[in-house]
Amino acid sequence: MAVQAAVGDRIVIKSHRIGEPDRDCEVLAVRGADGGPPYAVRWDDSGQEGLFFPGSDATVQHFEHVTS
Amino acid sequence: MQTIDALRRSGVGIEPGQTIREAAALMESAGVGSLAVLDGTTVIGIVTDRDLVRRGMALGLPLDARVDAVMSSRVVTISADADLHEAFSVFRTHGVRRLAVVRDGAFAGMITVDDLLVDLADDLVDLSRPIDAEIRAAYHDGAVPATT
Repeated sequence: MAVQAAVGDRIVIKSHRIGEPDRDCEVLAVRGADGGPPYAVRWDDSGQEGLFFPGSDATVQHFEHVTS
Repeated sequence: MQTIDALRRSGVGIEPGQTIREAAALMESAGVGSLAVLDGTTVIGIVTDRDLVRRGMALGLPLDARVDAVMSSRVVTISADADLHEAFSVFRTHGVRRLAVVRDGAFAGMITVDDLLVDLADDLVDLSRPIDAEIRAAYHDGAVPATT
């Protein structure tokens, strides 16, 4: 389970119950080594921040991080 | 199978000084019923939705009370690379419903009895397939020729 993410990536957590929506959050900081977990995240629906440890229900959506 | 490979749900952590309102909001946003209370990467407690009700709301704690006031500080842990059978054994021995999975002392996730039950159910379905096939498409051996 080698998950890697960068600041600004989005993590989507698949719903575990029928009728419940998937959840998603934005990576604010990477606390592990080499892009690994844990991640400080902000949850999309509530704006709450917390530490996230991705399991098999989570997928990382990488984005191009362009610096200008 | 290693315990870390059996984690079905992502783990969510909260710091001990955050409030029970934040804990409830985190649970709702992440769709989980429990949070690891972390001092750095070390798990020092677990707080469940039930803790928020029994130790928070029922006792009239304000929503800005610290989450470590309602957490369970008795945390049973298991190593991430421990064999899954060891997790069964720990659940049986300690009578808990969730274990904090740790790697090199740092929190890595939470495994619950429910996760193991789902895995067991899947295993039982796999085991029953040959029997099921035998019942639905029975194969009958031909009669043994009579010899005298």
